[in-house]
Amino acid sequence: MNSVILATVSRLLTGVLLVFSVFLLLRGHNLPGGGFSGGLVAASAFVLFAFANGFPAARSMLFFTPHVIIGCGLVVAIVAGLAGNLAGLPFLTGLWDKTPLPVIGKLGTPLLFDLGVYFAVLGVTTLIVFSLGEDGEEEE
Amino acid sequence: MENFPVIILVAIFLAAFLAPWLHRVLGDRCGLVLSLVPLAGATGYALMLPQIMAGGVVSFRHAWVPSLGIALDFYVDGLSLLFLLLISVIGAFVTWYAAGYLAGKKDLGRFYLFLFGFMGSMLGVVSADHLVLLFIFWELTSISSYLLIGYYHNEAKSRAAALQALLVTGAGGLCFLAGVILLGRMAGTFLISELLQMDAATLVAQPGFTTVLVLILLGAFTKSAQFPFHFWLPNAMEAPAPVSAYLHSATMVKAGIFLLARLFPLLSASPLWFPIVAPVGAVTMILGVVMALGQNDLKKILAYTTVAVLGTLTMLLGIGTELAVQAAMAYLLAHALYKATLFMTSGTVDHETGTRDPDLLGGLRRAMPFTAAAALIGGLSMAGVPMLLGFVSKEYFYKALLDAPGSGVWWEVLGVSASVVMVALAITAGFKPFWGRLKPTPKKAHEAPWTMWLGPLLLGVAGIKTGLFPSYAGAGLVGPAAAAVLGDAGFVGGLKLWHGWTTALGLSAVTVVLGLALYGLLPRIRAARGIYAGLARFGPERGYDNLLEGVLSFARWQTGVLQNGYLRNYIMTVVLFTVVLVGWMLPGVVPPPDWSAMVRPNVLTVTVCLLIMAGAVFACLTSSRFTAILALGVVGIGIAMLYFMFSAPDLAMTQVLVETLTLVLFVLAFYRLPVFGNYSKKAVKVRDALVAAVFGTVMAMVVLVEQSSRAADNDVSRFMSENSLTLANGRNVVNVILVDFRALDTLGEITVLAIAALGVFAMMRLRPGSKKEDGK
Repeated sequence: MNSVILATVSRLLTGVLLVFSVFLLLRGHNLPGGGFSGGLVAASAFVLFAFANGFPAARSMLFFTPHVIIGCGLVVAIVAGLAGNLAGLPFLTGLWDKTPLPVIGKLGTPLLFDLGVYFAVLGVTTLIVFSLGEDGEEEE
Repeated sequence: MENFPVIILVAIFLAAFLAPWLHRVLGDRCGLVLSLVPLAGATGYALMLPQIMAGGVVSFRHAWVPSLGIALDFYVDGLSLLFLLLISVIGAFVTWYAAGYLAGKKDLGRFYLFLFGFMGSMLGVVSADHLVLLFIFWELTSISSYLLIGYYHNEAKSRAAALQALLVTGAGGLCFLAGVILLGRMAGTFLISELLQMDAATLVAQPGFTTVLVLILLGAFTKSAQFPFHFWLPNAMEAPAPVSAYLHSATMVKAGIFLLARLFPLLSASPLWFPIVAPVGAVTMILGVVMALGQNDLKKILAYTTVAVLGTLTMLLGIGTELAVQAAMAYLLAHALYKATLFMTSGTVDHETGTRDPDLLGGLRRAMPFTAAAALIGGLSMAGVPMLLGFVSKEYFYKALLDAPGSGVWWEVLGVSASVVMVALAITAGFKPFWGRLKPTPKKAHEAPWTMWLGPLLLGVAGIKTGLFPSYAGAGLVGPAAAAVLGDAGFVGGLKLWHGWTTALGLSAVTVVLGLALYGLLPRIRAARGIYAGLARFGPERGYDNLLEGVLSFARWQTGVLQNGYLRNYIMTVVLFTVVLVGWMLPGVVPPPDWSAMVRPNVLTVTVCLLIMAGAVFACLTSSRFTAILALGVVGIGIAMLYFMFSAPDLAMTQVLVETLTLVLFVLAFYRLPVFGNYSKKAVKVRDALVAAVFGTVMAMVVLVEQSSRAADNDVSRFMSENSLTLANGRNVVNVILVDFRALDTLGEITVLAIAALGVFAMMRLRPGSKKEDGK
């Protein structure tokens, strides 16, 4: 796909989408959004970039391989759960710092857990899309 | 001292996980460092001796899964301690031995990982107080022995033997688990220490106790290679010699015996105990020695005699008199000492000469003096020659048989004939390879490194010491063990060397003489071993093979039917099952539609619904794949719009995103698919339409049912919405459910997602002919 318009717009849009995905992640606890939809938006940013500029470019922009991102997501989610254990409570008990911060709001382990979901979804989606897409390119 | 069992257990498992790393750093010497752990463990266990000898127990409790009542409870009494010492001491010697036997092997680190894993599991089995904990360690021994037997994993025979051992002991393990659960529920406790305090007679009188007994016996019999499950043990000789010496003589196969002994006070109260256990043991004993006679492989000979000894021990426990239990414990100790020695020396002979055929071996004593000495001591003990523990234990064995209830001289005849064969085979394994004229062997024989003969020699010396002064072994190990088995703290089971001119002594003398005579006949028996191959066709191993083949062909058949590779068939299967499973519950519960409770249709919702329906119909009818995908997209986006209208913005947003990415995936997968043709026959189309219509109807009814029951029990959703802000600091209930209330579900879901993605990756990348396999 060699479209100058798509390539140019994608550069702008990718950034906007990524910021939007983080926005969705952070507001998720109180307003529509969350790690799952945030992760999907982030993934679609990379997919758009891949379509416009090719899969190698998208991979290098992603920096880590999707495998690593999936692993990190799962680890972050589990760590967020284990925080409960460290406090002597059951696994996955939410712990909160009750003083709200500007923009982000209150901080707590559920946000960390949601961050894990975000990364897992991002990694899973990009892994599937990249696998399917690159396999096609190879045979062309 | 209470926490010794746990500390040692943790140390052994820690050593197991450090072993591969240690091997990388230290090379072959890592075995010597690692052996310090079981040696230290043995010292720790030895420190418990005074307390145990005084009739005390060591117990340790720690809650583990309190909600299921499972606890890390350990309990050490005389029986446990006997096993703990054997496992740790022989474990240390085997660790040395492996350092020599497997020197230079690249995966020695992995071997030690498995070996120490096994050691820890075995120590766990014999010191666990909780039946479920015992079962967990029990299964761990099965798994680690699978890995050890299959150590030479590039040899098909070795893999088959490992699998056989795993399947047989695993099947028995399942029976054991079922028995444990039934027993625990029946008795109201899973703690062995509490079970042993209970009144056995009332427990046995409960209905269903026979089931418990049979299930637990099946577990013990498979593990301890009792007839008809004995065949896996000789096959497991594919394992390297250290494994055979450790697992198949001293420890794992005795786990079944341990279980019988551990639950002896309970199970032996059943009237079925004696008629099941004693004959099974006797048959196994005779079968073992008969099979051993015809083998021309030192390891197989030792394996079959091990089967015979396991049979003997089972038989003694089955007889169940005080004397029989005491004899069983003495026999067990003696056997562990001499059989580990002989397994190691025959492994050394194999290692240094390249053959294990007793007919090809002879005169090695000059080349391998230390190994010869160790083997001689082991052989003498196995033959039951005075001044060795084997003699003492055989005296008690005969005494127990003479004392056994029941009429006739059957026990004595069986016991003496088995022992006669043992004598002949002891000479074959302990004497023949080393004495007489030196025979040429495939490799030029020379003495093995000290690591390979010191352990067997020390075990031999232990056999002499305990044989000369049996009162120490009697008071320290055998007596407390027998007392623990009998559940009678007052029982004093000392061992004596000299009992006077008794019948047992006479039988011993007869045994040795007959054994020597039989030894002379052995070459002729071995020459005629073709008969065994003929008999094997009727043996239980044949049944195992047929069963395995049957299961595999059933699996092939049902995989062919269910996993046929056509997505449409999978969907059809899922849909039909849903229709049947949900459908048969529906009649009678579907209320008439309550129109007043439903949302009043307006122009917008009706339009969207019509769009969805049009999209669905269009997707079915179109002859272009691209159009079909777009039409499905219309359906998806339409549903997202419905979510929006009924104030579920989270769902709507996610639905739109998923729709978008699905479209992307379709586009990518697009040109890989064959040309879109219309291959379905009319009949097939009608069938599909019918299935779809039925499924749609069922789903509509489910919605109606759900709607009518909603008002009644929406406690869950009310709880969620009321507590979302107060308990979880979030106003978005959907998100709070995902990351807090039901976070464990979410964790499971993202794990499944990750696995699915890896599956896609694997299918795309690791296909044959694909160039990229590095994941970049």
